[in-house]
Amino acid sequence: MKKNLGVYICHCGGNISDYVDVEKVRQAIEHEEGVVLAKTTMFACSDSNQKEMVEDIHQYQLDGVIVASCSPKLHLVTFRNVTETAGLNKYTYVHANIREQASWAHSDDKEGATEKAIRLVRAAISKSRYAEALYPNKFEAEKAIAVIGAGMAGMKAALSIAEKNMSVVLIEKENTVGGHVAEWGSLFMTNEKGSELVQRIHNDLLQHENISILTGTEVVSSKGSIGNFTLTLQKKHQPVDNLRETMEINVGSVVIATGFDHYIPQRGEFSYLNNENVISLPDFKKLTDQSTGKTLLYNGKEIHDIAYIYCVGSRQSEGENKYCSRFCCISTIHTAIETKKKFKGIRNFHLHRGIRTYGKQELLYDEALQNGDIFIQFHDDFPPEVSFKNKKTSLKVKDLLFSDKELLLDADLVVLVTGMLPRIDQSIGQLFKLPKGRDNFYNEIHMKLRPVETVIDGITLAGTCQGPKNISESVNSALSAATKAFSSISNGLVETEPIVAEINGNSCVWCGECLKACPFEAIEQKEIDGKIIAVVNKSVCKGCGMCAPVCVPNAIDLIGYSDKEIFSMIDALVQ
Amino acid sequence: MASKINPAFQDKLKKYGAVNFNACYNCGTCTAVCSLSTPEESFPREMVRLSSLGLENDIKSSLKPWECYYCGECTENCPQTANPGELMMSLRRWLTSVYDWTGLSGLLYRSVTFTISALIMVFIAVLVLGNAMSFQLAEMMHYGHLFEMYVVFAVLAIIFIPNIARMWNFTILRPKVKANLKIYIKSLPDLFVHMFTQKRARDCDKEDNFRWLEHFILVLAYLSLLFTTVFLDWFGTKSFFVVVLGYVESFFVFVITADFVSSRIRKAKALNKFSQPSDWLFVIWLMLMGLTAFLVRLFIDTHMIDNNVWMYIVHLTVLAQWAIIIVPFGKWSHFLYRSFGMYFSSIKAASEKRKG
Repeated sequence: MKKNLGVYICHCGGNISDYVDVEKVRQAIEHEEGVVLAKTTMFACSDSNQKEMVEDIHQYQLDGVIVASCSPKLHLVTFRNVTETAGLNKYTYVHANIREQASWAHSDDKEGATEKAIRLVRAAISKSRYAEALYPNKFEAEKAIAVIGAGMAGMKAALSIAEKNMSVVLIEKENTVGGHVAEWGSLFMTNEKGSELVQRIHNDLLQHENISILTGTEVVSSKGSIGNFTLTLQKKHQPVDNLRETMEINVGSVVIATGFDHYIPQRGEFSYLNNENVISLPDFKKLTDQSTGKTLLYNGKEIHDIAYIYCVGSRQSEGENKYCSRFCCISTIHTAIETKKKFKGIRNFHLHRGIRTYGKQELLYDEALQNGDIFIQFHDDFPPEVSFKNKKTSLKVKDLLFSDKELLLDADLVVLVTGMLPRIDQSIGQLFKLPKGRDNFYNEIHMKLRPVETVIDGITLAGTCQGPKNISESVNSALSAATKAFSSISNGLVETEPIVAEINGNSCVWCGECLKACPFEAIEQKEIDGKIIAVVNKSVCKGCGMCAPVCVPNAIDLIGYSDKEIFSMIDALVQ
Repeated sequence: MASKINPAFQDKLKKYGAVNFNACYNCGTCTAVCSLSTPEESFPREMVRLSSLGLENDIKSSLKPWECYYCGECTENCPQTANPGELMMSLRRWLTSVYDWTGLSGLLYRSVTFTISALIMVFIAVLVLGNAMSFQLAEMMHYGHLFEMYVVFAVLAIIFIPNIARMWNFTILRPKVKANLKIYIKSLPDLFVHMFTQKRARDCDKEDNFRWLEHFILVLAYLSLLFTTVFLDWFGTKSFFVVVLGYVESFFVFVITADFVSSRIRKAKALNKFSQPSDWLFVIWLMLMGLTAFLVRLFIDTHMIDNNVWMYIVHLTVLAQWAIIIVPFGKWSHFLYRSFGMYFSSIKAASEKRKG
């Protein structure tokens, strides 16, 4: 029970004080039991106030601090750090939100807002009295990282981790590394071939003693949590021997880099498969890459006029794929330019829905325009019609930039510009229980603040398994994921938040309700001293509190939010 | 009706001077900054689009190229340096060759060699005819005057009237514009207003009316000089008034055209930056016309002409090249097409309005 409490009530410029009478709040709580210091401040988060708080803590020998200001999402960590600087345990700090919950919510009722603020601060003071010093949970971590998928992202992530002197196991389901990039011809802007790029990075990987590459290998099961994952690997079925070799590896963290699948148009989608002159972008890239003559030949026929239909299987208003695949505009225009350079008499017609060649790639769009390529934008309600008559393929399209004027063109070849799909094989996601976003790609915690981490500690996302990306974006995300994975276990120790569920073994009767409620599989059944009870895995528990209210004998407490603390807060609120 | 795309048209148009218009990404800045474009008659973006797609029939039936007076704002503001202003100019050149039933316009625009050969041939013809008259000044001046008189009517009857009829066919009849006689008569003032004032050139560049003023004076000076030489027989007259009038008119013609030539050399404005042979030919020959006419009359008044017959031969050569090549097939014809363009456009608008 704390005796010397300091309370700071923030004006937040005027965000709070315009509606809440902060001086009245101060007066209302200054004589609360244990409060030795009650102050108002213009900006609690300002440097000068933070310094003042540290001085106050020393001068008044404070053992508990409460700041009533904005949402804890903004400044909980700020003030925890202030108390830590002053020598207190940072988990004893208590935050009261009187901006989002009082001044902003009740700007029409100043008196009510003030009254609510007083009660919120009182509740915080009550909690502060019981707030105990907590210490992060520490575990020993395996100093090794598994990277699943040896495409561009996986290879770069592995290389980056290995360069930091950590051992890496790079696991690839296929028999060769490189993924989709290995399929591709010359790449923008380096003009290096995809296969050459893969070869170069593969050589770098081979030279690194920290990296073991396992191709033709699948991950079949996973156990454990951050710091100590045990993965079971299986050599893929080889036709020569009937053996299915399995092995286990222990790693501290896992980087997921399983990549994407190409969208395959359905039969009849823009005459795909019904008309042999309609092919998909990956097939077209293969064709131009492998053709060596002066003219482009397809099925023995000379190709001159090529029509590209964009956004096939992407940005569907009706279908499942609502998203833009980002790379396809760029890839198509690049391929169109290369084709025109390589073969004689090529004319390109781009039927698109808005060109997205962002960044430096805008140069490609410009080059295509200068080449005299024709760009026709169509509305998604009026997709181009492909018809096949007298052995001639022709297209009809309404030009959005020309008051939907109907245009006709003949094409020797129609290329369907297909985008990226989440992997059809979702086994890795299921294995690790990775959450998926709206588009069915694996989902990060926050696209801006924590862009490569997943809600599963120790598992990061690299490359296109997270969403469509081009090569450089994939590599960026891979390097970021590698660094995150590395830094979480680099010193051989994993620290997790102390705010986790705690089970009182004496009261627990193992009914299994908590196991059903837990979204993170942090609860295990265990026999201790001959009694079967529930045990919390502290490295997995997120402290969400879902288990506490369903516990029949009330054996579960949430550290930092114990029944004692919560009841005292409720008492203060309804007082 | 669906129209067939024809990218080959891009190359064709480039022979008429269009540069870089395929760089256009359809942002519409050109149309937004154009002081003549209106929601009903919107350009140049639409013309750029038609040109890239190669929709020849749509361009042929359009009057918009004639509605542009080339202030150059669009070209200056184009983020892709696609040069819409020069494209509009090229479309005017192309349309001139489309309207011209003889096909000579197109040849002159596309081939510098052909243009130079034509100029040389006219020069030789003048020399041959002069030789036939043993270079007798009085006789040459007599026939020179007669030539000038007949060529005006001949060009009008053989070239301009049929060509304007073709223009009418392409832009009014074929697109099935429904217009009765009343509309044709009611719109007539537009024809003359635009012909003699270049009203739109003034609207074109609101900050700087000097170009319009120069152009306006030039047209007046040129037309009245034509009248003075043809009908008042400037070189033969004894009337003091007519002599002075001719001096003033020819003075204005060569001074203003000299200024135009110098701004083309300096590339002062966007519209001066991409001068085609046809543009040079037009301004330089007009300047030479004014200058040589002025000098011939000066030689007459100072009694130097008898000993300097070459002066008249030079003038006659310039005049013949002007009247036979540049006026019917070159840029001079734009003067007529523009006025008729505005006339037909006003007829189109009136018929649209009546339709509802």
